[in-house]
Amino acid sequence: MCSVGDVTNVDVSRLTPNEYECLDCNNKFKGLGRRVTCPSCKSSNVKKLN
Amino acid sequence: MSKSSTDPDSDRTVAIDFDEILYLCGRDSVIGIVKAGAGQWFIETEDDEIVLFTEEDDLFVASGFGADERMIEGIRCMLYLVREIGSPLIVLSKNHPASGRLRMVVSAGRETTIECGITPGTHPEQDVLCGMEEFDGMRIAGVKDGVQLQNVGLSKIDMRKSRM
Repeated sequence: MCSVGDVTNVDVSRLTPNEYECLDCNNKFKGLGRRVTCPSCKSSNVKKLN
Repeated sequence: MSKSSTDPDSDRTVAIDFDEILYLCGRDSVIGIVKAGAGQWFIETEDDEIVLFTEEDDLFVASGFGADERMIEGIRCMLYLVREIGSPLIVLSKNHPASGRLRMVVSAGRETTIECGITPGTHPEQDVLCGMEEFDGMRIAGVKDGVQLQNVGLSKIDMRKSRM
């Protein structure tokens, strides 16, 4: 879950997304959640890097 | 917009369709809830981008500081922008001057707890969203075909639904 634009401050540095690489288009991205797909090509053929 | 009956119980599951918004209208604030559905959303920080992946029964929850019809319409517009238009969720940096000017905040995920006294250092994975005191401690969870509300005096809330 993420809250956004909070009236009080949100310490984003404590967010702990995983890093992924798309094995189809090589896009690297940070993601939160279980149903991870590449935001660039929509492929679910992704690898967790960390 | 249709009104549903209120209830003195503190827990209730309310059915909502994907194209419906559930409004919880208190004396000083309004909370709007929609299904997020399975999808990907972008969280933008000052120097990073995080992709948030939601599932079918996850929720978007908007909390507005004000209780008039303009705020209710604003909540609808915000949820439409986020879910239908795919507007990225912007996270302000700590102590950003705009923080105090916001009249509406949004959360996304399976579960959200409303807190009126969030302190600096609170982070998004604590599943909290800033709200007025009347909703303090309320837990909002996405369940199959609906929303589960817990720990709130439902008898003091005007519960409504409208189409997105």
